[in-house]
Order: sequence, then structure tokens, then C-alpha cells
Amino acid sequence: MEPSKAEALSPTVGIAVIALAAGALPLVTRDSYYLDVATTILMNLTLTMSFRLQVSTGQINMAHISFMGIGAYASALLVTRLGWSFWATLWIGALVAALLAVPIGSVALRVSGPYYFLITFAFSEVVRLFFNNFFEGLFGGPSGLVGIPKPGRLLGLTFDGKLALYWLMAVLCVIVVVTLVRLDYSRFGLTAGAIRQADLVVETLGVNVFRFKLTTFVLGSFVAGLAGVFFAHYRQVLHSSDFGLEPMVLLVVFTVIGGTGSVWGPVVGTILMTIASELLRELHHYEILVFGAVLILTMLFAPEGLVALPGAARRLLRRLRGRAAEPAGVGLAP
Amino acid sequence: MLLELSSVSRRFGGLLAVADLSMTVEPGTIHGLIGPNGAGKSTVFNLITGVIPLTAGEILFKRARISGLRPSEICRRGVARTFQATALFREYTVLQNVLIGAHLLAAPGLAPALFRSRSYRERERQARGRGRALLESLGLGAVASQVAGQLPHRDQKALALAMALATGAELVILDEPLAGLTAQERAETTGVLRRLREQGTTVLLVEHDMKAVMGVCDTVTVLDHGVRIAGGTPREIQTNPAVIEAYLGVEEPGA
Repeated sequence: MEPSKAEALSPTVGIAVIALAAGALPLVTRDSYYLDVATTILMNLTLTMSFRLQVSTGQINMAHISFMGIGAYASALLVTRLGWSFWATLWIGALVAALLAVPIGSVALRVSGPYYFLITFAFSEVVRLFFNNFFEGLFGGPSGLVGIPKPGRLLGLTFDGKLALYWLMAVLCVIVVVTLVRLDYSRFGLTAGAIRQADLVVETLGVNVFRFKLTTFVLGSFVAGLAGVFFAHYRQVLHSSDFGLEPMVLLVVFTVIGGTGSVWGPVVGTILMTIASELLRELHHYEILVFGAVLILTMLFAPEGLVALPGAARRLLRRLRGRAAEPAGVGLAP
Repeated sequence: MLLELSSVSRRFGGLLAVADLSMTVEPGTIHGLIGPNGAGKSTVFNLITGVIPLTAGEILFKRARISGLRPSEICRRGVARTFQATALFREYTVLQNVLIGAHLLAAPGLAPALFRSRSYRERERQARGRGRALLESLGLGAVASQVAGQLPHRDQKALALAMALATGAELVILDEPLAGLTAQERAETTGVLRRLREQGTTVLLVEHDMKAVMGVCDTVTVLDHGVRIAGGTPREIQTNPAVIEAYLGVEEPGA
């Protein structure tokens, strides 16, 4: 019904498919390895979708992973040092990431394009080095922050096993998916795409583009922080390199391969690439070479991402069929 | 007066693009801003709409100062514009383009969009209705669901105007609305401008087509090298020696 996505998937159907798939997985397998991969997919999905929220306004935020780290360290410290409950720090950690995003975004969003890319990249290195080199007693320095407990009991449920943690991540992910998909299919998503196409025109039509971008930056950082908190208590160990350039590049690759033009792009990209990453595990650090090659091929042959391929194929098919029906090939309007 | 520029200047490095310009636009009129290439016309538009800041002077809209505000805030006060190189959201449909312009009707903020409150849906419905009506009135009704980037030039021009009007602006500022149009399309567009004036919308336009400007404008301001050299009705302008000199040059006596 929304004007912005005439041809695309209905939001309700898309959300339902994701929720059903996430809910059905434990019926298919309870193998701890597969649950681990599935949990990672859902965690990556919250990251790529919140990253794409910002890309939808045309900004490539290379510090997105840092806000995941800020949420992760904030929650880990509040739980291990102050004994707070995970169920409180889950939201507080995300809130800390969002609050820090306000001043950082206010500075970074003064510029755009390559300058924005560089300034956010510089910030992400500052954050990584901060976690690595400062307050070693607090952040654990190069050896990392260890001994982070799993989430405590909630409403009589325990969260020690892989399955319970999978369910927790699934619920968080579905909340994020519902929120971001609904926003994308609203006037908010329409405005974001307009800003990407011609930001000055949007501004002269009465939208404060700076404030709009800052809103997406802060909201995206909140979601990244949320994923970070889960990550901290799921892995139980944090290293500064978890939030460095390499995972950030993977985040970009996952999102771009799926396609940034559609809210469903990150879903496709994340599922395929997380599985690919598992299959390529033996390559260790060389995996990023493979991903780099895949990224280049995608940019060359499907610049709008994998999610745009069915539409492109349909258009091609329609054109071929149209040619068959009209052998003269006269370009009559349909 | 609706719009008042008082002693407005804009300097780009060593170039004084607009020098101590004062002019007023009366409500309910079509006001033309003309001048040879490089006279500073587009710069004046950018100054009024806040796209670039002033070096000196001030701009008042409905007696309130708008110079120094963000372009979005100036638009909210009731000033909308089009661009010389027609600026559209090329990937969006015609209706979606107009809906971005009509966003002032829409409920602001994230929460209404997220929870689809009744008022959000109602306001979106209104915005769409108004957008459709606007497209109809500008002859774009039939192409409402086409992608804007694929429209012919004439329709893109009309769409840019529709987007500015969708904001509900009292003053629309048009940068070369007739450029690149055929004679018949020009006549249609000037007809639209006259209709807007009848409906109470004030128009300020930059145009090169002297005949069209003289035909449609109530008042004209002439710029040359960033300086206002004349102002008045089209008839006064046409016989003004300073204007003739700026456009045609004057023969040196005895040359």
C-alpha cells in the first residue's frame, strides 16, 4: 500500500518469512554447531540492517562496528564490575552506543561522501585503539576482556544453552527487522532514499537533512549496540579486534552483496555470506580475499546487489517475450 | 511586501557576485529577475533559499528575517524553489517525488511512521490526494506512476514545479522554468504561472527568454555584474537605457 515500494515484496510477507524461518530452525536441527551459525546469522542481520539504514541516506558509516563494540564493552563492564543484570544492560548498552552516536554523528555528518567515509573510519580506529591500549585493567588490553557471564535468569527461563541464546537473538532480531522494515516502507524510508538521490533538493523542500541523517545514525548505532551486548554475553570474551577494520569490511561486503537499494538486500546478503564464511573457515584470514573478489564481481555484474537480480531477470524475460510477440520490434508502448 | 532583500552582498573570493542588492517582491505578483549571463541571478536565488550564506545584508520574508536559516526552515516559512538543472529524485515515481514535497503535511518523527497511527495514515492519505490533484492540474496525472528519470524534459520541468508547490509555499522561486521548452510548451507554462498568480501564489523567476518575461511578469528587476541596474514594469524596463546598454552594449560616439 505504501507508495515507496510498488514492485517490491510486501513488508508483512517478508517479516513473516523471516520470523517463521527463525522460529522453525530449532525444529529442523538442535545441533550446537548449526545453532551457532544461525545465531551468528541473526546477529549479523541486526548489524547489516542497521548499517543499511544509514546507507539508505547515502552515508557509508565505517564506524558502525565501533558502536557494536561500545555496546558490548559497556554491558560487559556493567555486568562484571557492578554486577548489574544482563536484562538491564542489554538496553543500557545499546543506549550508551546511541548517546555516544549523538556527538560523533553531529561532527561526522557535517561532511559527506569520501570525507564522511574517512572521518568515520578514523573514529573506528580511535575506538579500537582505545579498547586495546587504554585502561588495561578495565578493557583487558590486547589479551581481551574475559569472564563475561551469560545472560542470567529471566521469568524462570535460563540462558545457559545454545538453544536458549538462539531464541533470545531471534526475538531481538525480529524486533529489529520489524522496526527497520516498517520504517523503510514508510515516509521515513521514502525520504531517506530521496536524500541519497539529491540531498540538496530534499533540504529545499523543507526537510532538515542533517537532523534526518543524525536520526538514522543514532538509531543505527542503538541497534548495533544491541547486537554488541548480545555478542559480549554470547562469546563471553571481547577483543578490540572484534570491532576493527576486518569485521567492518565484512559488514560492508555482506550488505552490498545483498544490495543496499532494498531493505531486503542485507537479509539475502547476510544469510548467504555468513554461510559462505562458515564454509570458507579453513581459509582463515584469506577468506577476506575471496569476499573481496565476490564484492568486485557483484559490483561489476549486479551493482544493485543479489536482491535486484530477480527483478532484472523478469524485465529481461519480459523484453525477450515482447520481442517474440512483435517480430517487427517496433517499440510500442504497452 | 512579501519578500525584501536589503543591501544583500555575496562575495566568492575576489569576485563580488551580488553587490548591495535591494529589491522587493509584492504578494500575488509574478516577478522576473533578468540580466546577462553571470549577472548573479542564480546566486540571488541561492541566497534567498539559504543554499549559500550571505556575505552582508539581510533578507526578510513576511517581515521576518530568513537569511541565516537552514534551507529547510526557509521552506517551512513558505519559500520553495526549483533548480536550473532540473533536480528530481530520478529513481522515484512522479507521485513519490511530489510526496517528498508534500511532507510538511505529514506527521513528523519516527514513532508515527513506525506504529502507523491513525493520524499518520490519515495525513499520508491527504498528502497523496493533494499530490495527485497537483499532478492533474499540471498535466502530469497520466504519468503519476512513471519513474521520474524517464520523463520527457517538459514533464520533468512541470514535476519540479509540482514538487515546489506541494510544500504549500506562498512564494515559489523558479530558475529558468522555460529553458529548453518548445514555443507551445512555453505558452502552457506561462499559462500555469498566471493561474498560480490568480490562486494567490507569488512567483519569482529567472528567465532568459525576454519576450516571455515581458509577457508574463508584473514587475522585473535587472541585474548586471551583481548590481541592480533597473527595476519596474516590463514597459519601463524595455525603454530603460541602462538595460539596453547591459544587453546590447552602446556604441561609442564617433566610433
